[in-house]
Amino acid sequence: MTEPIVSTPLRERATRALGDRLLHEALDIATTRFIALRRDAFADFPEGEQLRDRARAIKEATLQRLDAHLETLVANVERLGGHVHFAATAEEAREVILDIARRTGARMAVKSKSMATEEIHLNDALQAIGVTPVETDLGEYIIQLAHERPSHIIAPAIHKTKGQVAELFSRELKRPGLPADPEVLTKIAREELREKFLTADLGITGANFAVADTGTVVLVTNEGNGRMVTSLPRVHVAVMGVEKVIPSMTDLAVFLAILAKSATGQKLSVYTTLVQGPRRPGELEGPDEFHLVLLDNGRIAQIAGTLRESLYCLRCGACLNVCPVYRQIGGHAYGYTYPGPIGILLTAMLNGPRSVKDLAHASSLCGACADACPVRIDIPRMLIELRREVDERKIAPWSERVVFKAFARLLRSPALYRLSARIGRALQRPFVRDGRIRTLPLVFGQWTRTRDLPPVAARTFQERWRDL
Amino acid sequence: MTSKAEFLARIRTEMAKTPGLFTASPAERPAQPGRRLEVLRRELSERWPQTLERFRLEFERVAGVFHRVATAAEVPAALERICSERAAQRLVAWPAEELGVTIAPALGAAGIAVESMPRGVVPEHERIRLREVIASADLGVTGADLAVAETATLVLVSAAGRPRSTSLLPPCHVAVFDREALVESLEQVGLALEAWHEGTPPPERGAVINFITGPSRTADIELTLTRGVHGPKEIHAIFVDGGLSRHG
Repeated sequence: MTEPIVSTPLRERATRALGDRLLHEALDIATTRFIALRRDAFADFPEGEQLRDRARAIKEATLQRLDAHLETLVANVERLGGHVHFAATAEEAREVILDIARRTGARMAVKSKSMATEEIHLNDALQAIGVTPVETDLGEYIIQLAHERPSHIIAPAIHKTKGQVAELFSRELKRPGLPADPEVLTKIAREELREKFLTADLGITGANFAVADTGTVVLVTNEGNGRMVTSLPRVHVAVMGVEKVIPSMTDLAVFLAILAKSATGQKLSVYTTLVQGPRRPGELEGPDEFHLVLLDNGRIAQIAGTLRESLYCLRCGACLNVCPVYRQIGGHAYGYTYPGPIGILLTAMLNGPRSVKDLAHASSLCGACADACPVRIDIPRMLIELRREVDERKIAPWSERVVFKAFARLLRSPALYRLSARIGRALQRPFVRDGRIRTLPLVFGQWTRTRDLPPVAARTFQERWRDL
Repeated sequence: MTSKAEFLARIRTEMAKTPGLFTASPAERPAQPGRRLEVLRRELSERWPQTLERFRLEFERVAGVFHRVATAAEVPAALERICSERAAQRLVAWPAEELGVTIAPALGAAGIAVESMPRGVVPEHERIRLREVIASADLGVTGADLAVAETATLVLVSAAGRPRSTSLLPPCHVAVFDREALVESLEQVGLALEAWHEGTPPPERGAVINFITGPSRTADIELTLTRGVHGPKEIHAIFVDGGLSRHG
């Protein structure tokens, strides 16, 4: 289980986000840009649609033989001289990594962007034993300096303006008076982090894929930090969810062809790094030790669960950009490690359905996410199932459950439905203004706090139908 | 801590609860990939000019600088031009055997210091010294095992004599290749990767394969594209029409 990051209710978080003009502008520019880049990338790539089907089939096929593929992966990583660890929970994963850090006497860990290590809240744990974690992806570095959390899976600092970054660098890096110029700020980050790459003892990464039959961990980055982190420190630890395994290099080629196009609209990210164990004899660089941490943390239970399909996720972020809710409130308002439509499902997977009793409704079910997903994950279907689960397990508030139960009863009986239309018409009179119901009394007020309700028509469709 | 047996048992228990799944299969893997790759290479050798043209186009699209020379003997002069334009004086390179061309004497005569990477096992203090040398070099020169036209990607397999950081730490990376390296698509890269992992790999093979597509970049500050954040700010490709020599 992973503990929630925030304790304020979703409604408050969303309201705050909606009131933040800067955030709004940044979100609008970023998501609009990402949508266009993705669209252009696939427009230039006619085989893309077929490859998406192929990729989806590979993910499903891999899940159907997950035990065998993981066994193959483990055997091959060990054959190459790597060590494999099995973590059922976030806590176990942290313990494994802390043990490695203690045993190797690590003082500083350089990290390449990894949602898996965010998910297990690794940085705080490292700090607590005296190991300084340094995020090296520029976006992650910015938010680490600001003591914040990523707001987008692939663009963690999109909520920050260049002015804010300049101020932050000036203050935190003791370089006063830096200009609000991305070129200059990037150069500063290069200098600061280059030093860290060359002196850190421990390199920590996630994994975009792990190829079972060759024991290969695959990292995709644009900046080159993934390469630094896996080449320069003397120990490399890769943390990955069990669902990241794929059978073969042939499969890898399929995923690489669609991943970057979905994420940033590039044909391929700048660096794709295939890591096969520790440094080999005669190699000038590369770690003495290579560790792979296989993480369950709620994933395995979903192999036969309602969220099974979310185990296909490549973490590309495409569903965030197209989501009307994400585009309004941004990543932080979701309150957990993984934002956006897929984030709701992953949060439920990691923390149980109770954690998403509000979030499960933070979707218009418009289906844009499923269309954008490179592996066509049916996110709306699973969101509906989550809502049902939240209801059945009596996690939803009693008033909501009573109202929906009554409503379901009405819909099943034509006579009751007709009767209720007449009663409704009489009862609604004091509340209708300009053809809308804007506020309702008692518990029903919950519904109209953020939405209007259309009134019952003077003559319902059924009544008119009879006269035709 | 969870053991491997417990972990896999938990997965099997859940798998057993999943009846009625639709049939899905992973991508079909080529039988005898090594042989298939040979056949592919023969096919590609007949249409390499188109493949090269596509590579050039895509390479320039990702901000790469493309050069073309007639013979391997012209490579040092091309490198010298790149160096002089940037006032680069220190260069690190794969050794002549890995590069397929000798560059050190000609560049040395032009006043450019070339440090060739050793091919054998080196002692720890030498490793540390070489890392410093690579980190402070102005230019890193490598070969390329594959040049992928569809994406303008250079694929480099690490090994003794082919350090990973030669293409990473210096601010400018230059890759030298010939038509043998050209392939058309990522799908063909998949075949090459299968072939490279068929049977026992050669003992000198390193632990990392890098795909490089353009200069290091980021758009993390207000989505402004900025190059050279951690890796090289510039990437060049020198294509040698007459071919490089292959010592293996």
